[in-house]
Amino acid sequence: MLANYGLIGLFFIIVALFSLSMPIIPIVLRYLKIVPSHPGPVKNSTFECGVETIGKTWVQFNFHYYFYALVFLAIDVLVVFLYPWAVQLRQLGLFSFFAVLVLVFIVVIGYVYAWKKKVLEWK
Amino acid sequence: MNLALLIPEITLAVFAVLVILLDLGVRQKTVLRSVALAGLVIAGGVTAAMWGGSYPAQFSNMLAVDHFALFFKLLFAGIAFLVILASADYVDKFARFQGEYYALILLSTLGMMLMAATADLISLYIALELTSISLYVLVGFLKDRKSTEASLKYLLLGAIASAVLLYGMALIFGYTGQTQLGAIARAIQSMPPSAVMDSPALLMGIVMLIAGFGFKIAAVPFQMWVPDVYEGAPTPVTAYLSVGSKAAGFAIILRVFFSAFGMPDWLSANWGAIFAVLAVISMIVGNVAAIPQANIKRLLGYSSIAQAGYLMVGLATFGFAPASSVLGQSGILFFLASYALTNLGAFIAVIAISNKIGSDEIADFAGMFKRAPVLALALTFCLVSLIGMPPAAGFMAKFYIFSAAAQNGLLWLVVIAAINSVISAYYYLRVVKVMWSGEAASGEKVPSSGAPRLALFICCLGVLLLGVIPGLVMRLAEVAGRLFAF
Repeated sequence: MLANYGLIGLFFIIVALFSLSMPIIPIVLRYLKIVPSHPGPVKNSTFECGVETIGKTWVQFNFHYYFYALVFLAIDVLVVFLYPWAVQLRQLGLFSFFAVLVLVFIVVIGYVYAWKKKVLEWK
Repeated sequence: MNLALLIPEITLAVFAVLVILLDLGVRQKTVLRSVALAGLVIAGGVTAAMWGGSYPAQFSNMLAVDHFALFFKLLFAGIAFLVILASADYVDKFARFQGEYYALILLSTLGMMLMAATADLISLYIALELTSISLYVLVGFLKDRKSTEASLKYLLLGAIASAVLLYGMALIFGYTGQTQLGAIARAIQSMPPSAVMDSPALLMGIVMLIAGFGFKIAAVPFQMWVPDVYEGAPTPVTAYLSVGSKAAGFAIILRVFFSAFGMPDWLSANWGAIFAVLAVISMIVGNVAAIPQANIKRLLGYSSIAQAGYLMVGLATFGFAPASSVLGQSGILFFLASYALTNLGAFIAVIAISNKIGSDEIADFAGMFKRAPVLALALTFCLVSLIGMPPAAGFMAKFYIFSAAAQNGLLWLVVIAAINSVISAYYYLRVVKVMWSGEAASGEKVPSSGAPRLALFICCLGVLLLGVIPGLVMRLAEVAGRLFAF
């Protein structure tokens, strides 16, 4: 039992040594003059992924996407159900056919509702 | 699979969809109310017609269509019917969303019906969420500052309660390997008591289930949401919450704890003790906190916390004496029915009055006896029933529950409950005093339209009948409660 914990402890020590030594290596190489030192504005800048923003980042964006996302979500979930159903349609029989038809019907009603409530119109 | 057993639920779903579709095309919005009421009448009628047949485990052991479930389905259909009748004038406040209002009430009723019929932790959770999500939206229907705040609070706290509930379910599933309630009971009974005590996961799961359900029934210390949500929500929705949601919570507690954890006596005595403690603090906190309230909706909110305390006396009775307390279980069902009628009556009167005078403050109800004698009389009668005085239903309900508790060695609990009933008389009668002897702000009459009057009449008649001849409903409750007698 204790030996098992010892193994895990050893593992932690190795991990700690490894993660400490990795950042030390370039510093040591620099002192040994193996790595040349040519600092420049680009090299000294903070490394970040992505492109610099154009204009302010605090702009307001259109809330309409929210409704689209909701309608999409409902239909997306429906599709997730439809795939396994379509593959197994023959084995599942007539009952499951109508059961899924009811599900599709309910989602379509939701779609019609969103349509009639002018959610799909871009204003 | 026998789909005929699901006709009430299917009816409600179809009518909810129908209301939404009609709302898109129809200009005359009162049609929607008639359609919603028709759906509830059909669902309730079919449920009543199904009385007599008992199908314990249907649909892959997910649902039980037994007398217990039918009793509650009938109750929920009746509650939703009265709430929709009562909101006849009130719905003008949300002119754009009347169809959604009725559809959501139907859908949450559907969820409550399924809650009463669950025989499995999975279907239980789905039914619970169907109810809760509809109610979250309904609470925010006024779209003003208070209503939105109430809705957000209810959503956040409800989500936490759901998380706790799910964690409890996960622990119970992890311990027994079953989600079906009967199978859980068998798994627990097949283990030696020491095995259960050695691994506290099951007990932890039970405690978490109590916490999750305690949120639904608004028991202290899970009652934080009650005053704000009750005050902010549209008053018909508050009435619906205080009656429907609470009854559904108790239905689910009865079902889960009686059929899954009811059997080894030492286990049921354990959760009985938890409910006894919760009952005591719910009664005390609810009644004492209700005293200084100036808003009638907040007052009724705290009173509903106290009423949950009285109901939990019945749960504790069953926990301590599962075999011998048939009166205890049917007493809980009777209490729920009488509480539903009483509290709905009180809320309907409040809706009718405060919709016209535009205020929920108790002080503004002064002299209401002169301005609206019928409404004031009905409200008085319902408040008297909430105290538990004869001849109203509240008296018989408390009598059944307390006498069952006293017979089963919980006399100390009954004494505390009786003291609390006296405390509650103070704040209920304060409202009555303001209405009958206060100086009216204006001599203007407070008119009310037909539908709320009809709903109020049904409630008051029901309260009176249950108080004078309780035998009829009590017999139904006994048949429904016998399900859990071992």
